[in-house]
Amino acid sequence: MSELLQADSVTYVHGLGRRRGRPLPEGLPGGGLPGVHGVSLRADRGGIVGILGPNGSGKTTLLRLLGGLLRPASGQVLIEGRRVGALPRRELAARLAFVPQETHLAFDYSVLEVALMGRYPHLGPFELEGPRDLAIAREALDATGTAHLSSRVFATLSGGEKQRVVIASALAQRAGILLLDEPTASLDLGYQLDIANLLARLNRERGLTMVVATHDLNFAAGLCRSLVLIREGRVLADGPVAETLSAGSIRALYGVEAEVRAHERLGHVTVVPLARSAAPAPSARPLP
Amino acid sequence: MAAHQAEVLAGIRDPGFGIRAAVRKRASLAGCRLLVGTSLLAATALVVTAQQVPQRIISIVPSVTEMLFAMGAGSRVVAVSSYDHFPPEVERLARIGALLDPDVERILALRPDLVVTYGSQADLTTQLQRAGIATYAYRHGTLADIGATMRELGARIGLDSAGSLAADRLDRQLEAVRERVRGLRRPRAMLVIGREPGSLRAVQVSGGYGFLHDLIECAGGANVFADVKRESLDVTTETILARAPEVIIELHYSNRPAEAVVAAEGEPWHSLSAVPAIRDGRVVLLYGGELVVPGPRVARTASLFANALHPEARHPLPESPTGDGTSGKPSRATSRGTPLSPEKCYFFGSATR
Amino acid sequence: MTALAVARLPETSIRWRLVLWLSVFGAFALAACLGAPLVGTTRIDLVQAFSRAVPFADNVDAQIFFIARLPRALAAALVGAALASAGVVLQALLRNPLATPFTLGVSAGAALGSMLAISLGLHVSVWGVSAVTAASFAGSLFAVGIVYALARTHQRRFSTNVLLLAGVTLNSFFSAVILFVQYIANPAEALRTVRWLMGNLDVAGYLPIVASLPLFAAAFLAFAWQPRALNLLSLDEDAAAARGINVVRSQQLAFFSASLATGAAVSLGGPIGFVGIVVPHLVRLLVGADHRVVLPSAALFGAAFLVVCDLVARVLLAPLELPVGIITAVIGGPFFLWLLIRQKC
Repeated sequence: MSELLQADSVTYVHGLGRRRGRPLPEGLPGGGLPGVHGVSLRADRGGIVGILGPNGSGKTTLLRLLGGLLRPASGQVLIEGRRVGALPRRELAARLAFVPQETHLAFDYSVLEVALMGRYPHLGPFELEGPRDLAIAREALDATGTAHLSSRVFATLSGGEKQRVVIASALAQRAGILLLDEPTASLDLGYQLDIANLLARLNRERGLTMVVATHDLNFAAGLCRSLVLIREGRVLADGPVAETLSAGSIRALYGVEAEVRAHERLGHVTVVPLARSAAPAPSARPLP
Repeated sequence: MAAHQAEVLAGIRDPGFGIRAAVRKRASLAGCRLLVGTSLLAATALVVTAQQVPQRIISIVPSVTEMLFAMGAGSRVVAVSSYDHFPPEVERLARIGALLDPDVERILALRPDLVVTYGSQADLTTQLQRAGIATYAYRHGTLADIGATMRELGARIGLDSAGSLAADRLDRQLEAVRERVRGLRRPRAMLVIGREPGSLRAVQVSGGYGFLHDLIECAGGANVFADVKRESLDVTTETILARAPEVIIELHYSNRPAEAVVAAEGEPWHSLSAVPAIRDGRVVLLYGGELVVPGPRVARTASLFANALHPEARHPLPESPTGDGTSGKPSRATSRGTPLSPEKCYFFGSATR
Repeated sequence: MTALAVARLPETSIRWRLVLWLSVFGAFALAACLGAPLVGTTRIDLVQAFSRAVPFADNVDAQIFFIARLPRALAAALVGAALASAGVVLQALLRNPLATPFTLGVSAGAALGSMLAISLGLHVSVWGVSAVTAASFAGSLFAVGIVYALARTHQRRFSTNVLLLAGVTLNSFFSAVILFVQYIANPAEALRTVRWLMGNLDVAGYLPIVASLPLFAAAFLAFAWQPRALNLLSLDEDAAAARGINVVRSQQLAFFSASLATGAAVSLGGPIGFVGIVVPHLVRLLVGADHRVVLPSAALFGAAFLVVCDLVARVLLAPLELPVGIITAVIGGPFFLWLLIRQKC
């Protein structure tokens, strides 16, 4: 397997976006500024990488850096060995799709229209979608089990349906990489399972590479091959799920005592949170 | 609304009145507590004398101020509105705000025994009546109402004969204008009282009611909007083309500006060259705030209109009544007996091009 | 209604919907523009109007047709199209269906400019453009500059909240300044300024239209590039960026082109309300949400709508002319309320 998407020691500090190319101010307390600091990540072709971390740890920032939506102040993001910043936006769009956390539409777009928006990067400036684009969008809706909703108004769907339609829209983009920001954050248990199964199936059947930022440890444990744990913008640990997800790493990440064990029926590790750690969470420092 | 507009139009020449009124208000706040006390005392005293002849009159309406001076009651006027500039004597008098911002405290402090208010100033009238001060509510009306008001006001302030005399004099002057144009063909006329500067948008004209309409008819013109029984209306360029006035009189409320400015102000009319007035060079721009004050000086306005409508029968202007005669100094705007001069009137149209 | 439902169906291809709705609204606009000059309070003889036998300077029918009516209809069409499309663009930019072209303070700036020109008695006109028109356009640019500077300093992308807040604040600030100018102006001029605020399209000639045409053309050209970006921006900024949209540049283009259209429209016809909200909503109800259909449809329907409103304004109480802003408000106000109630249900 070759790495499809990788971040090499990327740093981005919010509020200093325009300092690009200039050295960061010295002596900043570790993680004192929101952003990410020297984070590296590798996603192999067909792999699923989970980004875990508490609120404000820089998960979304990292995801946006990977998607080329932010430019790192230092370090680089490579996609198929080419720098993300050097790729024209449309070429990038053909390789990589982004699924936002929650989607609210102010206007009454239909489900099919939302799915068709995935075709925009493939159209010329004034070109309209043709039959082929329509077929691709329908196929994407089919793949996410939302074909029957296609003429519904998007805004009237349930949270889970919306998320599936947005994923369909990303599929219609026909990109090899999906970046998903908290895909289950606002969903109830049933929809969480649906989305997890959907993503696993898409990965299996289509060989899609995914990077998923999430809070949900069990969701990540079930879906991902490898994890990157970040806290205050720095990597605490990374590696295969079974190796990175431990009671110690969860304590370091969230300051929570948890029971981590392999679940026989599920076939992956599960996490049961028990209590807040007695000791304050240690500051961000790579685990030994 | 129309009456209100005419009232608003009535006092035109003081762009700074608002600020000054505000400053005055602030200055008077300091002494207001004391003043309220004394004026309450004064009010009880006034109830007794209310039936007597008013000696301290405040006029918030410029046209009534002029009437009071015309009937010789100028010396009894103690304060006027911030718009008042005629006769020149009023420049020395106290100012108590105007239609929209009357300064009640100041009015009370001046201990008037009669306050002339505009008919729409209900709040002010109530406040004054509560303080026991007599009021006289005035509203603009027709040309005939000016004389009638002078008679009524004269009776109200114990100057019956002076009021009648002033009214009679106005009637005579207007009659003289009518006489001048009697038998002449009455040209179709349009009186423009406002429009957006530099364009022919929102052209506001005199309708078939009110003293301005009466003045056109008196001066020997046939108002093309006589059928619209309103003081004023906005008209479209289409309506102007359709009504085809032979003379357009346009009122401007500033003093006459430089020649180039006058030409610029009349310029937009050129686009409607099919209108007879414009084709024949009979657009007349008149300047002066007094043009829309329905007081004794309307006779002069009538004469100006007559000169514009009937240049063939031009005539020197009648004497302007100058208050109660205490001052012979002519006002800046209306020199006594000035004949129609290029300073007051500008003939405009394609014929002059 | 079933025909409309079919035309809304997403299954119906975008191409077909575009053709259908553009022909419907295009026919509306064309009929309004061609029909309006034929209707009026005066009966005119068209043969006479187009006759060369009488010189134009003396031809009343021709002047009524070519000076009093046609430029008016054209000005109404331009202003209506500009306000309606500016409304669509700003609603998408702010992701707020209740935004109007006047939400960001552009019209208040324009109003202040024209107030000052009227109060200072500027009668000058250059190339058929009066000082009032020029000053109101300058005022709108001033307002746009302030709002942009405010929304910019916060972050590189527009914060829609900051934009809205800046616009609302600027609107009330300018309104206060306008009141102050009206207060210290003399009453006759204060009255003129109030009248200006009600809108007027009686341009009486083509020069004001021609002079503002480059502004409208630039704005409409910019609009033509935006529908797809507007669709994606109403989905999600990140998702839009990941689909090849330069979010910052698209937002700037939307903001400046909508402001330009609004500024040009307000300086030509005054701040005519409700066109920029009623038309976009009505069009969305009919054609759906896709901005590739909504934007051109709104432009065409906005043109037709204002031409008709202006026609009503000039004939309803003739010979009195009603301010066109009153007509649009009388139609738009109840419609807007209905919209709010409908949204609540």
